[in-house]
Amino acid sequence: MRPMFRAILHSQWKWSRLIAVVGTVAAFAIPLLSLQGAARADRGALQAQELLRAVQSWGTLYPLLATALGLLMAIAAWAPDHRGRHIHALTLPLARWRYVLLRFGAGFVLLAPPIAAVLIGSSLAVLTATLPPGLQAYPIALAMRFALAVFVAYAVFFAVSAGTARTAGIVLGVIAALILVQVVASIASIDLNLVNAAQTVLLLGPGPLAVFSGRWMLVDV
Amino acid sequence: MSNTLAVVLSISVLASPPHSQDSLMARLRRQSDSLLGTWRDAQRLADVADSLERVRATAGSDTIAVGGLRIIVNPSPLPWRQAAERAWPVIDSLYGSAAADLPRYPYVFRAVDPDSGVRRAVLHVGVELPWDLDVRAVTTVLLTTVTAPDFDPALADWLGTALRPSLRPEIERAAVFVQFVTAPSQAVRGCFLGVIARCKDVLQLGDSTGVVARWYVTPSEREALVTGAFGDYFASGTTALSLQRCRQHRDDACTALLQSLPPGSLPRPLAHAARLLLVREALRAGGRDAYRRLVANPRAPIADRLSSAAGIDIDALVVRWRNAVLAARPAPLTLPWWAGLAAIGWTAIFGFCALRSSRWRL
Repeated sequence: MRPMFRAILHSQWKWSRLIAVVGTVAAFAIPLLSLQGAARADRGALQAQELLRAVQSWGTLYPLLATALGLLMAIAAWAPDHRGRHIHALTLPLARWRYVLLRFGAGFVLLAPPIAAVLIGSSLAVLTATLPPGLQAYPIALAMRFALAVFVAYAVFFAVSAGTARTAGIVLGVIAALILVQVVASIASIDLNLVNAAQTVLLLGPGPLAVFSGRWMLVDV
Repeated sequence: MSNTLAVVLSISVLASPPHSQDSLMARLRRQSDSLLGTWRDAQRLADVADSLERVRATAGSDTIAVGGLRIIVNPSPLPWRQAAERAWPVIDSLYGSAAADLPRYPYVFRAVDPDSGVRRAVLHVGVELPWDLDVRAVTTVLLTTVTAPDFDPALADWLGTALRPSLRPEIERAAVFVQFVTAPSQAVRGCFLGVIARCKDVLQLGDSTGVVARWYVTPSEREALVTGAFGDYFASGTTALSLQRCRQHRDDACTALLQSLPPGSLPRPLAHAARLLLVREALRAGGRDAYRRLVANPRAPIADRLSSAAGIDIDALVVRWRNAVLAARPAPLTLPWWAGLAAIGWTAIFGFCALRSSRWRL
């Protein structure tokens, strides 16, 4: 099983190395840029607000990067199989679920460098900055959150990519139906807000995308 | 003859100015008396009109009494009594023994149809409320509209807001903590780091001279304030040149501009929530009669009034206030443990969906 995983990891690395490298560089750079020049000790009381503003602005890039990495890595994991109409996979002496599991696991391994880059970049940025009194840095919490977001995004897009065109059609159909019902309800002046309901289910509490919501702050009070 | 005439004329001319001045003064006095009389008449008429309007607004209304609360309302399904029973302990805990004076300040409410298309009688007394509010909302209305007994203008000016029960005290304290850390003022930073004199400066509790330098200690803070918050205000007229010099980092120009602002318009480094919290701390420390002591002497300096209300030295009160703020540090923006577990769970679920995919069978 291990040589099989190594072979799949190797092939997946060849297909997605550019994504992994660029993602790693971006993940390393964002925390450093977010604290760039904003935390010198000689800037007095004015700096705290500016610093938080800069950190918050840059913070929007973490969920975007996590989503992009998850999406591209999932597409890269399945694109050659789709192109080859799964013939290579069919020739392997493997059950379907084992094959998918190996691909899934290989993707996680390839997503580890960007996650580590966020941790290292954040720690480095915090160590080299002088934070105003009262502000605290959260590099580990940020890296953990980034890791969870990347995993969720990768899992969602991996599942969609692994499915058939029929499955994708059903998913899109459900979304279209929801939008249609919302439009009809609005026209008929019915008090029905499916968008808000969907937002609540997806983004709040234990929803699948809850990890993406809220502020992503490397430094906060 | 001509000499005699000249003397007579001279005397009459010399005598006439005091006489005419005297008559002018008398005329002006009469006019001012007349104006005062007219103003008093107008005042009386306004009082009568208010009284009549009050009678009209409260005609056919009931008075609900719970503790010291008196609520004059028209018949409606609104749960006034339950809301008052919830609100009274909160109000009583803030004003203490002074809450017994609240019957002097009755609420006047008028329940109206929530449908804005329905025509309503125009009233100038009381507050209109839709009759479909629940107990929680009505309680909130009672708490946020209660009139603080004997709340004098000096205290109101210093506080910058009304003294009412807090709906969310933890959030209020956390907001002050955030101000502590982020306010663009070295004085606030000093207070955060434990310099009580700086805390008294930013709370305006001690000497009020040189407030610009006390609140905004460094030249960069003063320049940022002038060019940021007051950039447009000073950009035209005689102050434009000074603004230009201020922008060239001339601190004397920046300071002069800030000192030229009308009294009370210099932005406070800490918003009113900080002062409100200080008053609440004083009332909490001083027991049930604390509010009475706070409003007992409106002419006394605010620091003395707060100290008297709390029954402790003003420095000790400020230390207590600072400790309360520091203890209210907001929770960090880390994910709760269950959110992490949820994310891992969703990853597993989507992974399982992928394992079950049917592409293999194509």
